[in-house]
Amino acid sequence: MFCSIKSAAQRRFVRTCWMSGGLVAVLAVAAAAAFRLWHLKGLPAYPVAVLPALPILWVLIETGRYLAIEKDEFQRNLLVQCLLGGIGGTLAVTTVWGYMEDFARAPRLDLIWVYPIFWLFVGIAMPVVYRRYR
Amino acid sequence: MKNRLKVLRAERDWSQADLAERLEVSRQSVNAIETGKFDPSLPLAFKLARLFGLRIEEIFLDEESSESTS
Repeated sequence: MFCSIKSAAQRRFVRTCWMSGGLVAVLAVAAAAAFRLWHLKGLPAYPVAVLPALPILWVLIETGRYLAIEKDEFQRNLLVQCLLGGIGGTLAVTTVWGYMEDFARAPRLDLIWVYPIFWLFVGIAMPVVYRRYR
Repeated sequence: MKNRLKVLRAERDWSQADLAERLEVSRQSVNAIETGKFDPSLPLAFKLARLFGLRIEEIFLDEESSESTS
C-alpha cells in the first residue's frame, strides 16, 4: 500500500487491508457454499449475501480511523490525495459505463466491481502522488 | 513555501532523519517541507520553531511580504 511503512498507524492500516482481503475471499467462498448447500432464498439469504461485504466495510472504517490517528500530516495528505484519485476514477468509470449501458447496450457492470475499481484507481494515483514529492 | 530548514539543520549537523525523529514525522515529510513542496500546519510549524528556538517567520519566508516591501 505505502512505498515504505513509516508509522504504527500505517502498519495497522496495511495489516487490516491484507487481513480484509483474505477474509473477503474466505467469506465469499463460504457464502457461495451456503447458497449451494441450502438454496437460501428470501430474508435468510440477505445476511449470508452480506457476509463477504463486511471486511470491505471494515477497511473503509479503518481508512477513516487511519486518517484520524496518523500523526504525520504529510503522510495523511498523501493518502487523501490517493483516495481522491480513487473516488474521481471510480466516478468517471461508473458514470461513463452507465451511459454506455443505457444508450449503447454495453454489458451490465455489477455494483460489486465498484470497490475493486476504487482501489485500482487509488493504486494508480499512488505513484503519481508520490512522484510529485520525490 | 521557501524556508531555512536545510540551513538550520546543517548548523546543528542534523540529517533529515534526525529532524524527522525529533518532530515525530517521516523523513519524507521533512524532505517535502524542506523543498517547499508541502507547507506544514501551524502546530507543526510551531513545533519546528520550538525545536530550533526561533520564531516561525525566522524559519519560513513570507514571499508575498518580501515582494511588497522590495
